[in-house]
Amino acid sequence: MIITVLGNTRIFQYSQTLLGKIFPRLRLKGTGRAKFALILVLLFQAMMVGCTTVAINSSMVDGAINSIATDEQPALSGNGRFLVFVSNREGQNQLFLYDLRRRSYKTLVELRRSLTVMESPSLSYTGRYIVYSANDSGRADIYLYDRLTYRLEMLTRGYRGGVRHPHISPNGRYISFEGSRRGQWDIEIIDRGPNIELDTETSLSES
Amino acid sequence: MINPYYKRLFIIGLLVICLGMVSGCAGYPRLLNLPPDLRVNSVNSPSTEMNPQISSDYLVFASDRQGRQDIYLYDRKQLELIDLPGLNSIDAIASEPAISTDGNYIVFNSTRGGQSDIYLYNRNTRQLRNLTDNLNAQVRHPTINADASVIAFESSLNGQWDIVVYNRYGQALNIP
Repeated sequence: MIITVLGNTRIFQYSQTLLGKIFPRLRLKGTGRAKFALILVLLFQAMMVGCTTVAINSSMVDGAINSIATDEQPALSGNGRFLVFVSNREGQNQLFLYDLRRRSYKTLVELRRSLTVMESPSLSYTGRYIVYSANDSGRADIYLYDRLTYRLEMLTRGYRGGVRHPHISPNGRYISFEGSRRGQWDIEIIDRGPNIELDTETSLSES
Repeated sequence: MINPYYKRLFIIGLLVICLGMVSGCAGYPRLLNLPPDLRVNSVNSPSTEMNPQISSDYLVFASDRQGRQDIYLYDRKQLELIDLPGLNSIDAIASEPAISTDGNYIVFNSTRGGQSDIYLYNRNTRQLRNLTDNLNAQVRHPTINADASVIAFESSLNGQWDIVVYNRYGQALNIP
């Protein structure tokens, strides 16, 4: 409220000087000039109100999780702040990362570039690591994307068999998935080793 | 004067250690060896295993190793399966489990007579809670966060798969 009042007085003063500049021959004095300026302020405010309502409406549409398209395979980050899911709202299956606290989307620039069908996303504790399966060339593989370093890594290079349903441990070290190298769906676990940067409470300190 | 035999032994030992270190360092990311075991108490079995979800201490998954599809919890420290009394039932297909980091809460999809529901199992109290009792829709793919405060899943309420976010007590969170 205070801000709007301050803003209005500033606009009021500004419009008064502006009036003097635009209409130098308009010899409005004292109250007449002030009235004219007041009308300008009100007009300006009406315009601003119109703009903000439009902006709120559009952001509500953009900021909602669900769309008129299919939204599926949700996965929460360990801290419960982020939700990653698959949606075909832009024509093909893509990953979307939603910030539940800010009610807005995080862009996954590197991932959106590729024209692959993405499935079964999974998040580590703060959402730093995203693991998903993608069908690139007729064969599904499991990928790990690091949101801090923007690095994309294929985890199942050389795996002899189909893979599906990957899931990353909250600290980011282990990835479990279903693999069919023995002729049936079995559980496989990938260990990324002790030297990786673990995703714990403090590692991705973005507010 | 060192005995040449011991010297050779020492060099061979050094080589072995070096090789071990090199292969150990280069081996990541590495696929763990989890061979199927005829015992019931292992990760893999001759039957199908589905939807594994891993944390540093636990591995939860669905398997039909005992003739019906049930949820299993594997303790990665003790290397054995943990009993889940009251979670699996004879007349329901349990699938798509997810677990909180402390291993206390397991959320999963249970299909009984064509109706799917999301259940939350509390290991401490051994209680099973149907989170979607009041939701007249098909549901699937539940997910839970580390401290079990948020649970999300898919619902077919609006005629297509949409995402619903609940808290632990089965109340929908106010998210657009």
